[in-house]
Amino acid sequence: MLLEIEHISKVYRKGCVANDDVSLSVREGEVFGLLGPNGAGKTTLVNQIIGLLKPTSGTIRIDGVDVVEDPDFARQACSFQAQVQVPITGLTILNAIELAGRVRGGKKDEVKARAQELIDALDIGEWAKKHGETLSGGVRRLVSFCMAAVVPGRIVILDEPTNDIDPLRRRLLWQEVASLKKAGSSVLLITHSILEAEKAVDRLAMIDLGKVLGTGTPASFKEHDAGYMRLELVIEPMAQKPQPPEFLSKTVDLGSRLISSVAEKDIDRAMAWASEMKDAGIAEEFSLSPATLADAYIRMIGRADALNNDGEAGV
Amino acid sequence: MGRWVRDYPLMLKWQMLSNTPMLVLMFIVEALIAVGYVIGFGYIIPNITTQSAMYLITGAPVLILLMVGLVLVPQVVAMARKEGTFEYLWSLPVPRSCFMAADATVWTAITLPGVILALVVGSWHYHFALHVSPMVVPTFLLVTLTGIFIGYAVAHSVPKPEIAGVISQVLVFVILIFSPIYYPIEQLPNWLASIHRVLPFYYMANLMRGYLTGKTPASVGLAFAVVGAWCAAALIVAFVAIRRRG
Repeated sequence: MLLEIEHISKVYRKGCVANDDVSLSVREGEVFGLLGPNGAGKTTLVNQIIGLLKPTSGTIRIDGVDVVEDPDFARQACSFQAQVQVPITGLTILNAIELAGRVRGGKKDEVKARAQELIDALDIGEWAKKHGETLSGGVRRLVSFCMAAVVPGRIVILDEPTNDIDPLRRRLLWQEVASLKKAGSSVLLITHSILEAEKAVDRLAMIDLGKVLGTGTPASFKEHDAGYMRLELVIEPMAQKPQPPEFLSKTVDLGSRLISSVAEKDIDRAMAWASEMKDAGIAEEFSLSPATLADAYIRMIGRADALNNDGEAGV
Repeated sequence: MGRWVRDYPLMLKWQMLSNTPMLVLMFIVEALIAVGYVIGFGYIIPNITTQSAMYLITGAPVLILLMVGLVLVPQVVAMARKEGTFEYLWSLPVPRSCFMAADATVWTAITLPGVILALVVGSWHYHFALHVSPMVVPTFLLVTLTGIFIGYAVAHSVPKPEIAGVISQVLVFVILIFSPIYYPIEQLPNWLASIHRVLPFYYMANLMRGYLTGKTPASVGLAFAVVGAWCAAALIVAFVAIRRRG
């Protein structure tokens, strides 16, 4: 294992427990996701890995080295994209990426070439010579990713890398995440986009209230929903929400949408009911699809407020 | 050490570029403060003698340097802390002392034009000549770095960044009105004078004034020792504060 986190607890001064006996590990060359709602303790955990915070108890090892004792080793081994915007006021995109690469020990010419490669890959060339303070939040986020990826660490930590980014460039970014993995880095990914995480990660941990609720592959999380499909109803604005019939289970109210679980044997009945709702002007549209990681996520977190209106985990 | 030598120029470039949007504004504000300050003395004391003017003008560099170190630095650092800037910078594999050195270098460079302008305009306006000793260079550096390190120590030690802004406002008031930078220490009540014999401000003004007017400052060894001790103490506190993990 490249990264081993064992029994980490973090209790802040006022008694707030941010991490409670967290144990997990990341293998060499895998993309590992950390999913959880607001205040789950994800960022606190990451900040302990790179030595910004000190655990109350427990150990963190990177390649066998105890990084709680030697945080400098962690900073050499990990490149990091923080959740907060990167400080690039006064720097052009090119300046920022090249400086980050040089600071991470890259050679001048190699860093220059790699910076250009990333700028091209993420399609942000039109802003390459613009200063940080003039860029939109999404472009700044992409620059921040480039700064972590220009000379990647053995572990690349990405904290909410797709926030504010348009759908087209999100796709480009996920391709670059895959390239990092291909080049041999492990990626620790914190994201609230469950749909994107499902495609990008090899394994993941679900975390809530400071505890790890489960670890496994996306498929292993969905095993529990085998034999069930997901029925999603988009409710017409101003329409009264219908009471789901008894053959629909685990119904979650996401404001304008109702998501329910339906056993394969009840699919015909469910479709008939959904059509009825549409004909009655209650549902704008409906869809039936295989169960997703989001369904497993709701089941494990145990409450619907962990999911926002877009079906994404809280940040 | 090798890493430090490699990283310092990179962090210096980073800090220089980061401050570029602010630099022009800072120079203009500093120039206005320096000139306004010099001209303003004439209004506060209408028939000011050349000797008094020289006393006041040669106190200006210390005041400008302290304003930058004790006011601007804590406020800029506090803002950066609130925005989470250090969360990123300190995740980089760069020694934090290296980052602090680069930052201090930039702040030192920012203070220099204001100081020179105040002295040039002041000596021209009030018709006196300065006799600058080479010792003014180490004095300038010591005063500037002491101010910056105290500012750093305050800004990084307080639990909430907002508190640093409040502390810096109080410091401005105390330094401006109750420090013997513009007036002799004998004009203060005994108890306050005793406090100032431990604080660095009186000694800073003595050193700077002496080396700008061609006179050996009074108790020069003691003055360097007190200011040097404050500089070292502030550096240690600042260093401990920036290396601390929450």
